[in-house]
Amino acid sequence: MKKNSNNNDSELVEKVKKGNKMAFNFLMNKYYSRVYASLFSFTKSHEDSEDLTQMTFLKVWQQISTFRGDSAFFTWVYRIAINLAKNYVSSANFKKQKINTSIEEAEIEIKSFDDSELSLIHEQSLHKIRNFIDSLPESLRTAFTLREQDGLSYEEIGKITNTPIGTVRSRIFRARESILDHINQEIIKND
Amino acid sequence: MTDINKKLSALYDGELEKNEIDNVLRELDNSDELKKTLSMYSLIGLSMEDKENITHIASANSRKDNQIFSKLWLSNALTAAASILLTLFVVNYADLSRMNISTESANKIASAVNSKEAKEVVANSNEFLVDHIMNVINDPAFMNTNTIDLRNVGYNISDKQNLGYSNGRESFKLRIENRDFGLNRIRYWRHGNKMIYLVPISNGRVVTIYGNISASKAIKIANSIKQ
Repeated sequence: MKKNSNNNDSELVEKVKKGNKMAFNFLMNKYYSRVYASLFSFTKSHEDSEDLTQMTFLKVWQQISTFRGDSAFFTWVYRIAINLAKNYVSSANFKKQKINTSIEEAEIEIKSFDDSELSLIHEQSLHKIRNFIDSLPESLRTAFTLREQDGLSYEEIGKITNTPIGTVRSRIFRARESILDHINQEIIKND
Repeated sequence: MTDINKKLSALYDGELEKNEIDNVLRELDNSDELKKTLSMYSLIGLSMEDKENITHIASANSRKDNQIFSKLWLSNALTAAASILLTLFVVNYADLSRMNISTESANKIASAVNSKEAKEVVANSNEFLVDHIMNVINDPAFMNTNTIDLRNVGYNISDKQNLGYSNGRESFKLRIENRDFGLNRIRYWRHGNKMIYLVPISNGRVVTIYGNISASKAIKIANSIKQ
């Protein structure tokens, strides 16, 4: 196991540089929400934020060869997103059609939120998720929170909780599975 | 599915063995369910990461109106986001109607733009400053750059991995820039329950201090670095 919390990113980026769309797809799914959230602070619009997020990942695909690895991958992606956001704010001629054309030309599949994902970006849903996380068994909640909220590596979590890395990995996975079950049964189903 | 889901969870955390990555990517490529799971991991993580930010997004999506924007200005005219938006509006001469902002909100923004404080923000801002503040807020690793002995002002390194400082009551992160962003005095923003301070020091440098700490302490820390 690796210590750095995003250690696999560099390997995935190298794969993307070689044209590996599966690796690109993984990175896009991993960071799509975070890019969207950053862009939302500029646009205050779901539609525009999602369009800009898609444009961001299109540019990531097109420009990945220029990423030298001097910063974290997400920092680089984030900079692309913010530059797009600045253009968005300064331009009165933001055309969605341009994005669609570019995506078609790129011949890659760019993600968009589906209805169930959108239903999670909702105050009431988030409140329910947080309440559920608070109700998880202490061992799962601790491992999951240290990972997601504090960004600690599995090794660091293992040291803090005095548990083997394999157990940390298992607890975080079980926490995620429990949260997903709760979302599917109690949140998405009731929307 | 459990084994591949477990590996997907580890890859999402950046903790999967290198020789297992290709297998997970292949499985992911062939399964919409796995893609959905990965996306859900990301959304759950986001909700944990920055409760205030995601609540703003959630609220706006729920209400489908622009009240959130005017509320931002009324409640705290110097939040980082507001300052950044202000900078962008003025520097780039954006059309407010482009953002579907109401006349009332536009008037509030106009008032804010004309205030002394806002003019100072704009005068001191450029795209580097905007980038800098957004990086401080959004990139946890951005502040993990400098290790400085601050024991002379009562702060110890509390987290060696993330380079956090603490005196038991206050905690913060610190970064020194070799550019001054055009600042000639301290600037500060509130972000959630934390503060961001940019304190000019010697040789055209600026210290960024981000955390749960008062302005006077931030200045004291910056002064100790000056010396």
